[in-house]
Amino acid sequence: MKHLMEEQLIEHFYSKDKTGAPASRHLESCADCAQAYAALQSDLAELEGVEPPERDEAYGARVWESIAPSLPIYEMRRLGWMRGWWWRGLSYAAACGLLAGAFFAGRFWEHRQQPQPAVAKAPASTPPRLVVVVLSDHLDRSERLLVELKHADAQDTQMISPLRDEAQDLLAANRKLRQEAQKTGDPAVTKALDHLDQLLTELASQPDGLNAAAITRLQDEMNRDGLLFEVRVLRSRIPNREQERTSRPNGGTV
Amino acid sequence: MDQNDHAAIRAVLSGDKEAYGALVMRHSRSLFRVAFRITGNEADAEDAVQEAFLRGYRRLESFESKSSFATWIYRIAVHCALDRIQQRKGNGTSRVSDESDPELDQVQVADEAAGPDRLLLSGEIGAMQKDAMHGLTATERTAFVLRHMEDCTTEEIAAVLGIAPNSAKQAVFRAVQKLRRRLENLRVKI
Repeated sequence: MKHLMEEQLIEHFYSKDKTGAPASRHLESCADCAQAYAALQSDLAELEGVEPPERDEAYGARVWESIAPSLPIYEMRRLGWMRGWWWRGLSYAAACGLLAGAFFAGRFWEHRQQPQPAVAKAPASTPPRLVVVVLSDHLDRSERLLVELKHADAQDTQMISPLRDEAQDLLAANRKLRQEAQKTGDPAVTKALDHLDQLLTELASQPDGLNAAAITRLQDEMNRDGLLFEVRVLRSRIPNREQERTSRPNGGTV
Repeated sequence: MDQNDHAAIRAVLSGDKEAYGALVMRHSRSLFRVAFRITGNEADAEDAVQEAFLRGYRRLESFESKSSFATWIYRIAVHCALDRIQQRKGNGTSRVSDESDPELDQVQVADEAAGPDRLLLSGEIGAMQKDAMHGLTATERTAFVLRHMEDCTTEEIAAVLGIAPNSAKQAVFRAVQKLRRRLENLRVKI
């Protein structure tokens, strides 16, 4: 008879529905395993831990009193924040307008230069060229940020502060691009931008600067998730897409 | 409760800072419980609770109204508690290495801990358990606390720690195995 491993016993201990489970049936028929399981139950019962000291009803009020003075009012903060974003948004819009203008001018010029063969539509799932360009730029910046974060000295607060500012800059663009990727149905891009979003949010939302512990944790998270690798892989795909596109005559038409 | 929370969040984002007070008062005690279980002491747990609400406030715009505020702030509190442990480690006040070598487990209980004789004499079983808990890595300890004491599912633990469900399950296994080994060693010494 094959005995249950310790891991199986632990899993069984924590499983919600024990009745009829294979482990339950085995424990009924195997004295050795039943004994091992009883020992596990006894050990885990001992490990209930020290009960947290009870906090009275006023505890929440005390917590609120201690943090309330340091919290800015949202709308005021938002206005300052939005003013920065308004200019930034305007610059983005201008850059996008220029890029779009150049793109359409180029297409118009090529149409004028060459007689057109039969025209077919580009596949619906292909993202617009403009998105590809912006995405490529965004991934470049994100990669640089991740590399800096990876090698950041957690104790050096002066080095850390620009990382937070850059993360704040990248966050809004990242969200827009993620929405775009979701719309165009590109799971790899969506997943990578999603991971990136989590890290950028963490990095950007440290108001009083990042402490060493938070930096170390972010570095661990980044390494564990292979985020830098994911961004690099994605970025390496972008020029290929561009190449594919530019190798076709008239940027997307065949 | 969720509806109340969401209404309060909308109010805060519209400029009513005081509305956040209602959220703090509603969730402080449950956050304190989990923070205490992770950090193992009151002062760190209280700091973690305050830090969690501060972070929560500053990230409130990123909170998605589809999810539960209780779960969201709980997750932040767990991370704050983990940060506290890391800070303690950084300050050199940690008693046991987080990345302990199994071979060294038996000798890593720090001097300030009660020795086996004292444990026997004073009957400090709680101290023995505390020592055993300190032998776990931060992730193992948190996974164990959430599973064993907070009754979270593997998926919930994975979401809180930001790891895959299988990694969460393995963290619980490793925690239980290490705790049992350590308790056994301490019992033998007694």
